[in-house]
Amino acid sequence: MRGTSGDGAAEPELGLGLSTVGDYAVISVTGEIDMYTAPQLREAVRQLSSEGRMRVAIDLTPTEFCDSTGLGVLIGARRRLSDAGGSLVVVCANPRIRKLLDLTGLDKVLDVREAVPGE
Amino acid sequence: MNGSKHDRAGARAEAATVRFAFTPAAAYVRAARLVAADVAAHAGVASGLLDEVRQAVGEACTRAVLRHRDRGIDELVRVEFSIGDRFVAKVTDNAQDLRARSGDRVGAGVAGGDARANDHEAIEEDTLSEEITLIVLGGLVEDLVVTGPDAEGGTTVSMSWPLPGSGSAADH
Repeated sequence: MRGTSGDGAAEPELGLGLSTVGDYAVISVTGEIDMYTAPQLREAVRQLSSEGRMRVAIDLTPTEFCDSTGLGVLIGARRRLSDAGGSLVVVCANPRIRKLLDLTGLDKVLDVREAVPGE
Repeated sequence: MNGSKHDRAGARAEAATVRFAFTPAAAYVRAARLVAADVAAHAGVASGLLDEVRQAVGEACTRAVLRHRDRGIDELVRVEFSIGDRFVAKVTDNAQDLRARSGDRVGAGVAGGDARANDHEAIEEDTLSEEITLIVLGGLVEDLVVTGPDAEGGTTVSMSWPLPGSGSAADH
């Protein structure tokens, strides 16, 4: 199906940019997070934690689309990092995704901020 | 896909139906939600609601794929859009109620929990995602009905959005 969606549109692309801000490993997410692309984000967090990077920020500000699968990954990441003594920050100044976090109540469960701590 | 053209120059689209089905795989959910937004735009759904249509249909399709995947069902997920007094989207799966089979998994909560093996993490997140889809749908869609499982074993998510009475059909 790659490259051959029914309406001729390109397949969902997920871009994951890695950087470091203060104590945080930052994953900046571009493109669309859905059930097709979410495993890449899950794996990126897992890779960081396996390298001992337990303070992780996922930046959704540049993200075009996020569905419940993406939210599931955020919850899973928060749990895994917390269990290992780390923490997850969700950076989101994107009103569309912020609305999603608000209406699911995840804005109260996750540490959602406008910017990476220390930035 | 099985659909019919309508008069885009008119104030309101003529009654029409677009119906398709897709293999329950993650790769096709995006196509379904993009088609939903496109059909809704052609029907005259307000442009400010198109993101909501795209998100909601995507969530319903994601839920259907997760339900099929969980049960190992290869049958197609069915999607139908109908244009009449309102724009109606229906997404139908063929999976029986997950809770009846494995309520303990659904109970895996948002907070706490033990560390799990990697494959279990993915399964757990999938289950969590299915729960979240309904929360998202409930928050997003004012007119939402989830029925089933019916006699054939599936559930249907029905959603609708208003269409303008006159003069504000989609312009594209």
